[in-house]
Order: sequence, then C-alpha cells, then structure tokens
Amino acid sequence: MAPPAQSSRYPSPSQPSGKGEVSDLRLQLRQLAGSRAPGVDDSKRELFKKVISYMTIGIDVSSLFGEMVMCSVTPDIVLKKMCYLYVGNYAKVNPDLALLTINFLQRDCKDQDPMIRGLALRSLSSLRVANLVEYLVGPLGSGLKDNNAYVRTVAVMGAVKLYHISASTCIDADFPATLKHLMLNDSDSQVVVNCLFALQEIWNSESSKSEEATREKEGLISKPFIYYLLNRLREFNEWGQCLVLELVAKYVPSDTNENFDIMNLLEDRLQHANGAVVLATIKVFLQLTLSMADVHQEVYERIKAPLLTLVSSGSPEQSYAVLSHLHLLVMRAPYIFASDYKHFYCQYNEPSYVKKLKLEMLTAVANESNTYEIVTELCEYAANVDVPIARESIRAVGKIALQQYDVNAIVDRLLQFLEMEKDYVTAEALVLVKDLLRKYPQWSHDCIAVVGNISSKNVQEPKAKAALIWMLGEYAQDMDDAPYILESLVENWEEDAPEVRLHLLTAIMKCFFRRPPETQKALGIALAAGVADFHQDVHDRALFYYRLLQYDVSSAERVVNPPKQAVSVFADTQSNEIKDRIFDEFNSLSVVYQKPSYMFTDKDHRGPFEFSDEIGNLTVGVESEHEVPATSVDANETSDLLLSTTEKEETRAMVANGSDYTAPLYDSSSRALPSQGQSELAITSLLGTSDPGPQASMAIDDLLMGLDLTAPPAPASAPPSLKLNARAALDAGSFQRKWRELPVAISQECELSSQGAAALTSAQALLQHMQGNSIQCIASGGQSPNFKFFFFAQKAEEPSVFLVECKINTSTAKAQLNIKAEDQSTSHEFSALFQSALSRFGMS
Amino acid sequence: MAGAVSALFLLDIKGRVLVWRDYRGDVTAIQAERFFTKLIEKEGDPQSQDPVVYDNGVTYMFVQHSNVYLMTAARQNCNAASLLSFLHRVVDVFKHYFEELEEESLRDNFVVVYELLDEMMDFGYPQYTEAKILSEFIKTDAYRMETTQRPPMAVTNAVSWRSEGIAYKKNEVFLDVVESVNILVNSNGQVIRSDVVGALKMRTYLSGMPECKLGLNDRVLLEAQGRTTKGKAIDLEDIKFHQCVRLARFENDRTISFIPPDGSFDLMTYRLSTQVKPLIWVEAQVERHSRSRVEIMVKARSQFKERSTATNVEIELPVPADASNPNIRTSMGSASYAPEHDALMWKIKSFPGGKEYMLRAEFNLPSIFYCFRNPGTTPLRNNQVRYLKVIEKSGYQALPWVRYITMAGEYELRLI
Repeated sequence: MAPPAQSSRYPSPSQPSGKGEVSDLRLQLRQLAGSRAPGVDDSKRELFKKVISYMTIGIDVSSLFGEMVMCSVTPDIVLKKMCYLYVGNYAKVNPDLALLTINFLQRDCKDQDPMIRGLALRSLSSLRVANLVEYLVGPLGSGLKDNNAYVRTVAVMGAVKLYHISASTCIDADFPATLKHLMLNDSDSQVVVNCLFALQEIWNSESSKSEEATREKEGLISKPFIYYLLNRLREFNEWGQCLVLELVAKYVPSDTNENFDIMNLLEDRLQHANGAVVLATIKVFLQLTLSMADVHQEVYERIKAPLLTLVSSGSPEQSYAVLSHLHLLVMRAPYIFASDYKHFYCQYNEPSYVKKLKLEMLTAVANESNTYEIVTELCEYAANVDVPIARESIRAVGKIALQQYDVNAIVDRLLQFLEMEKDYVTAEALVLVKDLLRKYPQWSHDCIAVVGNISSKNVQEPKAKAALIWMLGEYAQDMDDAPYILESLVENWEEDAPEVRLHLLTAIMKCFFRRPPETQKALGIALAAGVADFHQDVHDRALFYYRLLQYDVSSAERVVNPPKQAVSVFADTQSNEIKDRIFDEFNSLSVVYQKPSYMFTDKDHRGPFEFSDEIGNLTVGVESEHEVPATSVDANETSDLLLSTTEKEETRAMVANGSDYTAPLYDSSSRALPSQGQSELAITSLLGTSDPGPQASMAIDDLLMGLDLTAPPAPASAPPSLKLNARAALDAGSFQRKWRELPVAISQECELSSQGAAALTSAQALLQHMQGNSIQCIASGGQSPNFKFFFFAQKAEEPSVFLVECKINTSTAKAQLNIKAEDQSTSHEFSALFQSALSRFGMS
Repeated sequence: MAGAVSALFLLDIKGRVLVWRDYRGDVTAIQAERFFTKLIEKEGDPQSQDPVVYDNGVTYMFVQHSNVYLMTAARQNCNAASLLSFLHRVVDVFKHYFEELEEESLRDNFVVVYELLDEMMDFGYPQYTEAKILSEFIKTDAYRMETTQRPPMAVTNAVSWRSEGIAYKKNEVFLDVVESVNILVNSNGQVIRSDVVGALKMRTYLSGMPECKLGLNDRVLLEAQGRTTKGKAIDLEDIKFHQCVRLARFENDRTISFIPPDGSFDLMTYRLSTQVKPLIWVEAQVERHSRSRVEIMVKARSQFKERSTATNVEIELPVPADASNPNIRTSMGSASYAPEHDALMWKIKSFPGGKEYMLRAEFNLPSIFYCFRNPGTTPLRNNQVRYLKVIEKSGYQALPWVRYITMAGEYELRLI
C-alpha cells in the first residue's frame, strides 16, 4: 500500500493536525513495548487501531515505525495483522526502516500457525522494496511447499509480486517451474487458479525475451492442459472459472468433435448465477464455432435466453456490463434478436447509460415486421423528461428511417416531432429531416411544407440551425419566403456559430442561383460579412464564392449547386477490422468502450494473452490474435448469407465490409516494407485465413512469396495493352453498389489447369495468386470442391474498375466467370488477362 | 479475468477516499480521487454516469451503496462484467460484517476492512468472496478471535461454500419463492411486455453436510415422466443455479440436488415470459384547468382474488421537477409529494383483492407527466414447489418451510 497523501491534504479544522497526537502515541507505544503486564495486548490493540485510523485518514504516522516494530513482537494475531498493515503502508517510503521489519516477518513466516505464516508472507512480498528481495526468496520457496493451502495461495501470488520487483531474481530461483508443478498437481483449487494468474503474467512478459517462455505460454493453451483445467472446472470458484474459460476460448480444437465435446461440457455454465461466468462461457462458444457457420448461429440462439435474463436481473451496473456485450452481438447479428425487441424497451427509472445502449439495439433490430412497434415505442421516449434520452430516441427514429423500413410512417412521425414545440425535439428532428432528404429526395414535398412553418428564431442549436439553413438553400424554389428568412438570418451574422455561418453562405449562394432578384441583397451582405469574418474557414469560403462569382456565374452555379445524387449509404464510422478486434476481445473492457484494447492501454499493461506487436510471436500460430481474424472472415460470410434473406441493405454493407478488410491489408503487404504494425496485421490475417496449426509456418512462406510477387508494380506477364493498378482499393459498399448498377459484360466458362485445381485447397491460396496479378479479392467463400470469389481490379491510369464473380469447381477444374466493367470497351481485354492469370495458378 | 486490478477504493459521497488498497502500485489515491471528485462535480447526478469510465490510461469502475462508492482502478484490459459483479460481492461481504455498509461503519472498522480487502483480492486478482468463508478466518470480535484461532480450512474444502462441523440444535430450512413481475403497459392500456423473474431464496440452519433435494412442478420433467400437466406445471425459462447445485444432475434428470451453504442464499433464479395480468391496474385522467394548473385523478384497482391482500403498495407518479403546490386527496392510504424523486408517492399499506381506490391531486405545473410505477407484494401463484427433502448422514429430522411471495419488479404503466 502506498502512503496516503500527507496530512495537509484536507486541511479541515475538525481533523487533528496530527503532530501532537503522533508524539503522544509514540510515548504510549514505548511504554508498552517492553511491558509484560496482563492485559497489555488489549491496550496495544487500542493504540494500534488508533495508528491505523490516523494512517487511513491521511495523517503521516511513519515516524512511529521503530516503535511499531518493537511492539510487534507478540503472539497476538490481531496485533500482528495491524502491524503488517502498517509496515506494508510505510515500507516503500522508508526502505531503511523496512529492513528492520524483515527479521520479524521472516520469523513469522516460520510460525506454526498457518494463518500467521500466510499473512507474514503476504506482507513480506508486498513490501515492494527492490533491495530487500534477497530476503524474500527463502520464505517464498518454503511457502510454495507449505502443507497448508492458504499459505501456498499467498506464496504463489508472492512469486508474481517478486517477479514485478525483480524479474531476474524470480526466474533465477526457478519459481515459474515450481508454479507450473503446483498448477498441475495441487489439490487446492485456489492454488491452481493463482498459479494460472501468475504464470500468465510471468510467461507473457518473459516470452519476448526467451524462447522457452514462449513455448511455456503456448503450453497453457495446449490440449492436455486445457483438458486438465476443464476437468477441474467445477472445483474452482466463480472467478477461477472465469479465468479458465477465458483461456479455453483461445484453445483451438483439432476437429469438430472436440469442439462439440467442449461445448457439451460447458453448456451448464450458461446457467451459472454469476453473469461473468455466463459471459465467459459465451465467449468460448462463440470462438469455438466461428468456423462453423450454422452452429455459430445456433449458439446465438442458445445464448439469447441467458443473456436476456441477465439484463433484467442484477444491479444496473451488472446489467450494463451484460448489455454492452449483448449490444455487440446484436450489432453483429441483428436478425437473430429481431423478435426480442421488447426486451430492449426502456423503463423510465433505468439509468441513462442503460437506456442509451437499449436505444441503439432497438435501432439495430428494426426490420419490416417490428418497425412499427419500435418506432411507436421510441416516440414515447421522445416526450421523456430525460432530455438526453429524448434526443437519442429521436435520432434512433431517424436511423431506422434511413434503414428504409416503412419510411412513410416514420416521416409522418418526424414531422409530428417538429410540431411538438419543444426546442430540443425540434432541433433533433430538423437534423434528421435533413439526413432523410439527402437519402430520399422524393419526400421533400411533405417535409418542406412542415419545415417552412418553423420559425428560425425558435431554433438555437447550431446543428439544427445548420440543418434548417441547408434545407432553405436546397429547396429555395419550394419555400416561398426562403430568401427572406435567409436574409433575416444574415442580419444576425455575428450571433451564430461558425458552423451555421458556413451553411448560411452556401445556402444563400444556392438560393441566389434559383431566385436571383430576391436574394441578391442578402448575398451581398453575407459575402461582405463572410470576407470580414474572423473565423478562417468562413472567411475562406466567402472569399472563394466571391471570386467564383466574379470569374463566371454559370461555373459558380455548377460548383455550388450541381445536380445531386441521393446518398444511398451513410458512412459507417467504425472499420470492420476494429469491430473484429473488439469481438476477439469479447468479455473485456474493449466491448464496453467499443474500442480495441490497444487504444486504451499502454503496452506495459496489456493483460496476459493480449499480444503486442512483436513479429516474433508469429511462430506461435495458435494465438488468439492470429487465429481469430481467420475465422471472422467465415463469420462475416455467414452473416452475409443469413442477411441476404432480409434485404437489409445497410447492415449488409456494414457486415460485408468485414470481408473486405483483407483487401486493404493485402494492399499494405504489397508495399515493399510496411511499417511494423501494419505488417503484423497483414501477416496475422494471412495466417489467420489459412488453416490453423501446422500450416501456420507455411503461410508465412506463402506470404513471403506473395511479397516477392507483388513487389513489381505490374506483373511482367500481363498483356501490355491493359495495365492494372496493383494497389486498387474498393470498399464492400461501393462494390455492392457497382455490382448492382453494372450489367454483365462477359459471362463465360473457362478451364483451370489440373495443377491449379489441385492447388486450390482453400480459398486463400487463389487470393494470393490473383493478388500477385493485381486482381484483388473482396469476398470469398465455399469449401472444396466448390468455391466462390468476388474479385475486382482497377485500371492503372484511371479509376475505372472491373468486377468479377468467379465460381470454381475443383473436381471438374472449371470456372464460371461473370465480369462487369465500368469501361465496357476494355472488358474483353480484362477477361483475357483474368483468364490467363487464373490458368497460371498452381504452375509456379 | 483477463487483467488485474491496480487498486480498490472506498470513497465517500463526495468522492474522497475513505479506505483504499493498493494491489499493484501503478495507480495512486490522489490520482483516483482527483478523477472521481471531478466526475461527481461535473455530472451532478452520478447515477446517470456510466459505471465504467476511462481517464488518462486508467479504467475506473464503480458502484454506489448508500453513501459509499466502491471503485476499482485498473490499467489493464479487465473483464468488466466480472469486476462489477466482484464489487457487488464486496458490498455483500461488508454488509455481512457490518450489518449496514455506509461511511460510518467503514470508519469504525478500518482494520477489518483492510483485512477483508486483502483476502478478497490479491495482487489484483479476486480470491475468496464468500462472506461465510471469510468469516471463518476474519473475526470482527477480538475476543472470539482468540478462542477460534484456526487456519481457514473451509477455503481448502472440495465444498468451498460450506465448512465442516456446523451444528444446530433445531434443523430448519426456509424456502421463499419470490417472484417479481415486470410489466410495461402503454398508454392505450395494452400490456406490451411482461415477464416474471423468480428466485428461490433459502435460509438453511442445518447441521453437518446435508444433502438437499428439491422437486419442482417443472413441465419438462413432468412431461418426461408421462404425467398429466394440466394447470399445475410451470414453464421455466433460463434457469440459473447457485454454485452448490449439481448442474450435471439437473441436466440428466432435472432433479435439483445440492449441499447448501449455511445461512441465506439464492438457490435458483428463473424467468418466465408468460403474459401476466397486472395485479393492480392504474388509470389516470388529467384535466388542465388553466395554463399552469392541472388536476389529475388516479384510480387504482386490484385484480386478484378477494381473499388475498397486497401489502405496502406504492404508486409513484412522476411529475416534472418544476411542479409546485400539490394538493392531494386519497380515498385510501397516504400520498405525498417527494421532490427528491420528482414524484408523488401514494402508499397503501394493505390493498385487498377486488377493491378500487382513488387519488386526486392538483398541481401548478407548466408541462405534463406521463408515467406510473407500482411495487407491491401479494402471492400470484403458489404451485411451483413439489417437495424439499433434506438428507444427512446422522439422519436428523429437518423442518422445511415454504412460502410464496410476489413482488412488483419493473412495473410501469404509461398513462398519458
């Protein structure tokens, strides 16, 4: 325990300053130190208690160190405990004095009472004074061999503490080996659990230095050890079970039978009363089934009930933790939870952090069948006393509207919000109506009628005001008094936020092109005010418009007011790579923060099994980080398959993005020598997507070959007439859009070489090959003998892209191609290039 | 448990450190206190604050209990669910030791608090958190301490939740079937969501290592045995057991067999998502007499059998924070304005079946309210338990007592 801050921390008249009291205590302690009178222990206890409470409220009693140590020679366990506490608190700041205590602590470590042995050992190992470690090794060694389990549990923790003070001392004393022996043989479950805690920490940080530790760390997730733990699982207390399950989640079974054995064994854990155990079990289930699409979905069905119960029972904090995880699952597979939407209804007395998560989930699970109920429910919250939640609810309604279900009804609701005459409701609704119009311009007529009735004076929030102004500019021809409203807004130029002023400038410009005579005056004022504005962006934009108008009015119109395409998909804020990382770190803070752990922990404090960026780890091949990206591709594919039935465009884009994260990654590996972090990701994903285990090292070889192949910008063998961009990039959303828009240019069948067909054991192999020919894969799936790929490629000089759907049957060595091209004229050339690349597969 | 906790803090209502235990030495009390006091000041209402907050490399997780905050600080990526459960367990342990967990009881018991914090967590990893077992080796009373000084044997038992050698003169078991009903009714009077969360709460005063068996009118079991299930059987959804229950046996033949801990514990919890009729129906009418004066009329009607009685019914009528000058009349029970909750609290001590009571209230308020809540107790169903058997080597007779209680859980009727 570090010292509490000094007495000056809370200078309050009611609290003793400490000086007088401390010297008083010193006198009394001295008197008692040598005394053997009966009842002396009781008076000592009183004194010690006083010292401890002074210490706790922040009075510095470190000057009593000597006296306290003198008094501590006593068989009384209560006194001893208090003394240990005191010593532990002040030893770190008084290393010289701490030396005084070593003697009696060491003696107590040999006491016949196991309780005292344990406590003394804990105090001794908690001193955290580097130059005293030599005194610690002996007692720890005998503590680990103690015949009392309590002492052993304490000693095990002592060994990690020693490791953190002086790693070399701990290693030299061979404690890791002793711990390992205990872990495998001790009859006491808590000793085993503590050994596991300890060894994870030690080996994890040692593994960067020594090969042996790396092997030992791998050993923790080896089959015999995992089975050993699983067999003893029921002995452990709930925290121990959490730990073991966390480890099991990293284990990769050799075949599916093993998978099912483990799940059968653990199924009853889903009924455990402690939510933490249930979540840990869920993690195991999810990780085990990542590569088995149908089972993975069954797992979702199975874990639904326990999760939903956990949410509605327990304290708000606990249900918050569970909800965060449920949130993650709902976001991954909304369709599975669609029928349970009522569980996400908010109670009015729930804390708002719970409500917020529930609102997000309600938004996610909305589909054709439940949208009406969900929106009705959300509208009830819009009138809520809790203003932040009311705002969130309105935003949720808007998000659902953007998901395209029952837009008609929702637009009506939104317009009703505008008429509710509550400032914040109007504000939120305005922002939404704006987004809605960007996606569905066809609704402009209905919306504009209502928006036109809103007085700009009642809208104060910058975001809402900006939205209103945008609509005034965009639909100037439909709103009679648009120029006059804008004009009145310009008059109060100074009062508005920069964001609003920017929008105002643009809106007036737009308005000017549609209704020049009415707007000219306002435009002049606005441009003058804008050019004189102190805000750099406003100033620049005003100046830009001014010069543009000076140059040529019709070009200005083309710049400011071009015909717009409706926005089909709003950008997804979180990349899929990050989402997958978070999923890998299921049941940790990452899920609560919705960020992967590297974003909020320093390197020193990554917990056990959260691996850092050393490439050295790659040899392992069975680590979590390496394993999971692999399987997550499959998972995404699953959801893709599942989703296709529900025509849910946006989520689809979101989920499908998951598979495209391989694309940018390959891209990064094609650069000559990418930065370390990136290369690690690329490599892990490559490793991941191949089969686990023995093939891992092969995958690295493949990767190296891949790097060699991709080093030249265009493969020499490609026909010179059509050059492809080796670093083409396309996100899944645009791929899908383009795929829908473009007609099929060429549809034909072609042959694979027999070597090629033989080499195509996994989708991965072909991806690397095609990538070497500057053809990127955006999604792949299937199992031998039938594979399906979506490829894309981009011309070297222009952004025009080619899209290919390629179905391969390896048993007949035939491939069915569907090629779509933005530039139809070159599609035949591309087809030839693609086929030649395909036919060369397996030759090299 | 992925990561370890750096330190555990007990803070007062203003966020100042009362007691803390530093487990790993990488977070200081000053740092944590500065963060937490700022958090409380900024938010005003810490209840609405996320229980997991990140600040400057440290993750703080906290729960509140009366006038004390319990908070962990960690630099690693910890298991949030596990740690929040752990904090609640710490609350339970303190309550076991000090009856009430509040600032005063902590101040009076610094020494024991330190001891407990040391045994519940070591180097940031949770250890023993069963109050019963902890009290085996951490005694509050100094005198008892001397007489029963012995090593913590219970922690090393195979049955970690019960220590050997417990003896009672009279062997008794109490079983309470407590069901709480969660209902959400919309303003049209439709039940839009209802489920029942039940718990079998036990208090055991049994000697030795008794083996208990509990039989339920579980539909799955009865149907498996080919018995008729008309009316009697119940569908249990998502059952959860205390760790003492042999889950494998339940999976095989649906018998609930266990060696119970000593004292009180929750044997099992379950959920039923059946349609339940609200026990008490509440309706409200609102009349606006003028722009600022509003009169509400509330009718509460009990919808259960006449011979049953609901006790301690509380109806909470949320009103806006700026409501003033309430003038309330009721036909039964007492009602008062509770500004701290921004609500009218209508309390009815005893509410027999088939009755209807009224409340009228006049307010000055600028806007309108819309929500109702209603906790109360009355038996709703009483046929879950078939038998409870206690078997012990010595063969003593134990008295089982079974009782049924229904409580309102989240009971929300939206009226306007």
